[in-house]
Amino acid sequence: MKTAAILRRVRTTNLALVLAVAMLAVACSRASTTAAKTASSNPNVALTVGFTEDQYVLSGAQASLGEYPLNANIVETLATITPDYKVVPALAESWTLIAPNTWRFKIRQGVKFHDGQALNAMAVKVGLFDRLAAMKGGSSLKAGPNSVSVVDESTLDFTPTVTNLRVPEQMVHPEYGVAAPGSDLGKKPVGTGPFRFVEYVPKERIVVERNPDYWGAKAKVAKITFRFYPDASTRRLALQSGEIDAAFEVPRDDVAGLKSNGFQILTSGVGAYDALLLNQHGKPGFDILTDVAVRQAVAMGIDRAKLVSGVLDGLATTDQTMVAPASLAPYTSTITGVTHDPVKAKSMLDAAGWVPGSDGVRVKNGKKLHLVLVSGFPAAEILRPIPTFVQSQLKDIGIDVAITERPDSDSYSAVMDAGEGDMFLEQGNQNDANPGFLPILLYYTGPGSGTPFSYQKLFGPGGKFDQLLAPALSEPDPVRVRQIVANSMNEFIDVDASAVVLAGVYRIYGLRKGIQGFVPHPAFLHVRWDTVSVSG
Amino acid sequence: MLSFVLRRLLLVIPTVVLISGLTFVLSNLTPGDPAFAVASRMAGRPASRAEVVATRHQLGLDQAPLSRYLHWAARAARGDLGRSYSTQAPVRQELFRRIPLTLELALPAMLLAMLIAIPAGVLASMRRNRPSDQLMRMLSMAGACMPSFWLALLLIILFSVRLHVLPVAGRGGYLHLVLPVVTLALAPAAVLSRFTRSSMLEALGSGYVTTARAKGVKESSVVAKHALRNAVVPVVTAVGVNFGFLLAGATVIETIFVWPGVGSLLVGAIQQRDYPTIEGFVLYAGVSFALLNLVVDVSYAFFDPRIATGSSV
Repeated sequence: MKTAAILRRVRTTNLALVLAVAMLAVACSRASTTAAKTASSNPNVALTVGFTEDQYVLSGAQASLGEYPLNANIVETLATITPDYKVVPALAESWTLIAPNTWRFKIRQGVKFHDGQALNAMAVKVGLFDRLAAMKGGSSLKAGPNSVSVVDESTLDFTPTVTNLRVPEQMVHPEYGVAAPGSDLGKKPVGTGPFRFVEYVPKERIVVERNPDYWGAKAKVAKITFRFYPDASTRRLALQSGEIDAAFEVPRDDVAGLKSNGFQILTSGVGAYDALLLNQHGKPGFDILTDVAVRQAVAMGIDRAKLVSGVLDGLATTDQTMVAPASLAPYTSTITGVTHDPVKAKSMLDAAGWVPGSDGVRVKNGKKLHLVLVSGFPAAEILRPIPTFVQSQLKDIGIDVAITERPDSDSYSAVMDAGEGDMFLEQGNQNDANPGFLPILLYYTGPGSGTPFSYQKLFGPGGKFDQLLAPALSEPDPVRVRQIVANSMNEFIDVDASAVVLAGVYRIYGLRKGIQGFVPHPAFLHVRWDTVSVSG
Repeated sequence: MLSFVLRRLLLVIPTVVLISGLTFVLSNLTPGDPAFAVASRMAGRPASRAEVVATRHQLGLDQAPLSRYLHWAARAARGDLGRSYSTQAPVRQELFRRIPLTLELALPAMLLAMLIAIPAGVLASMRRNRPSDQLMRMLSMAGACMPSFWLALLLIILFSVRLHVLPVAGRGGYLHLVLPVVTLALAPAAVLSRFTRSSMLEALGSGYVTTARAKGVKESSVVAKHALRNAVVPVVTAVGVNFGFLLAGATVIETIFVWPGVGSLLVGAIQQRDYPTIEGFVLYAGVSFALLNLVVDVSYAFFDPRIATGSSV
């Protein structure tokens, strides 16, 4: 009786073992099947992407839902810009300048909007140029009510209200997208892009799905949900927790942690810069930098290599071009930048009459070499700890720096308007392919520059810089414009020391394992999502 | 009672006028030009002088401040709070869209805070100076002192990143409510528990409690029917004030948890110098506080009939 019970127990145990092994085998086979599947991308997969803040404009002529600042790839532009700042055709197959100020566009044929309407010259007139003409000043493209004439089904002529020879380079900006005639860019954008609009919940998310009738290569994911995370820490934690698959604008401090946890960190080419703009026309109290020798000494007193490797964790470059280096090619090297040379900086200050005082701070005619550094564009928080680094570096050559931080660009601009600073620290970014756009807008004071504003008043060197840059206003050849701008920025940075460029900055994107085909763009508003696929 | 309520309601009007006027003045004294902010955002770069001038005209900022305020006040009186500088959407529409979202957090957070604080406060008062009382006081001090953003991040790291049991942020199902509600509830719970404790201690030391005990009333009845009923009035006041703050939006919590309530609306509006939205928010917050205070005042009569009849002990 006892033996029978033992045998039964052994049989039961064996049966349990067999079952366990069988289940394990099934599990393993499932696992290996899954592994096999992960090797290739899944076209039905949905992607969730974390963006910064929802800043869409939802009504009026400047409505920009899905367009800008977060480009959800719904609406497309006539031309687009590659990560190396080359302008390439998109909805326009080609364009030519018909002198003196008319641009002829050949519109791509066979393209349909998401609502089935055909893309043609009239649709571009209604869905783009009429919209721009309704904006104040006709937008930066200077479109007027009579700016466009439709030549034929696939050809239109655009004549800006004032001479604008940089139209193709400017119109790559997503705010110049072609929306379907009759569509509302504040509620439900309809375009020609690789993704169609599905849903928008303000401040929460915008959802798009693959456009199966796209004229180019079809998107590799079925759906993308872009979620808004204004707080960078939350965005990073959302990526870490698996709530999102990719994140824009990963803070430098989070890069190492994410990498060590197996996340992909992708950086773009340089499209932005950190720079100190030097007030060379300062009012009394802020007039030390009117002396070019002092400006040059400041430029030489800062060790950019140390800043990049030690303070910016190697997540920047020592580029000193301000304008995106790629957009100046092949003339980028015309801007040499300033080499760190504290010994020479000290001797220049000596020669300028600034001699070391008893406390180490230089003095001239009883006045201390004291400079006010204002930090705040786009926000002081983003620029930390650069001001303290600059303060420490300049102290070594006998310059005392006081730091004033402004929480946002608006209050920073107020200080600039009042002219109450010697050095203004900011991070600028180039979003289009026109290398002359920011130099002309911010620093040019020559003919055609209009009423000067604070940037021009404080930092515009005038003279040779204006002479060098002026031809860019009337030069039709984009390559020649690159050369002109490079020459003028050489004068601005290397000779005049109107700005001390501290670093070239690139965009940092974080992606989970398995995301493939993502191309990091130096301007986040140009990121394409149709090339992205997911495995696993 | 009705005339009392009407009188209090009428008092809301000058209060709101005063607050909105003060906000308008302070907004205009804040450094920064909303026209520059709007134009720069639209351009994606620092705006030029011409763009700023055009935007200033478009937004009506080229008018005299007093004229702008009177214009706004006249429209607000008709229920039109103007359009947001940054989104161009009507402010009233945006506020009405976001108020229910703030309530989604504020109501359960307040409820949770009361569920934690009142029993804890009562218990601590009954065990005065004993270890459980000391522990409660220590925890409430920690709760009141702990920065909410820090607690929020700790909770996210624990429950979302490590344990994967709760979502990091955003709105969705009930699970999305857990972390922001718990974070929001902590500070009011800490404050209310201390209020409840001190109020209960005062009640437990009063003559009517001694009499009740002398008459042989059970301790549980002494606490629940005699002491707590009398101790609750100051607690209700504290509940009202704390709930008012929650209704005005928890700016930090809403930002961290990407909760699109009125708090995050205010943060964005301040950053953008979006005066119409700031004014609209202040109007909403002022009215909410005034109405809440009214409800609290009226509730006194329910908890303490002597207040309604005007009699004294």
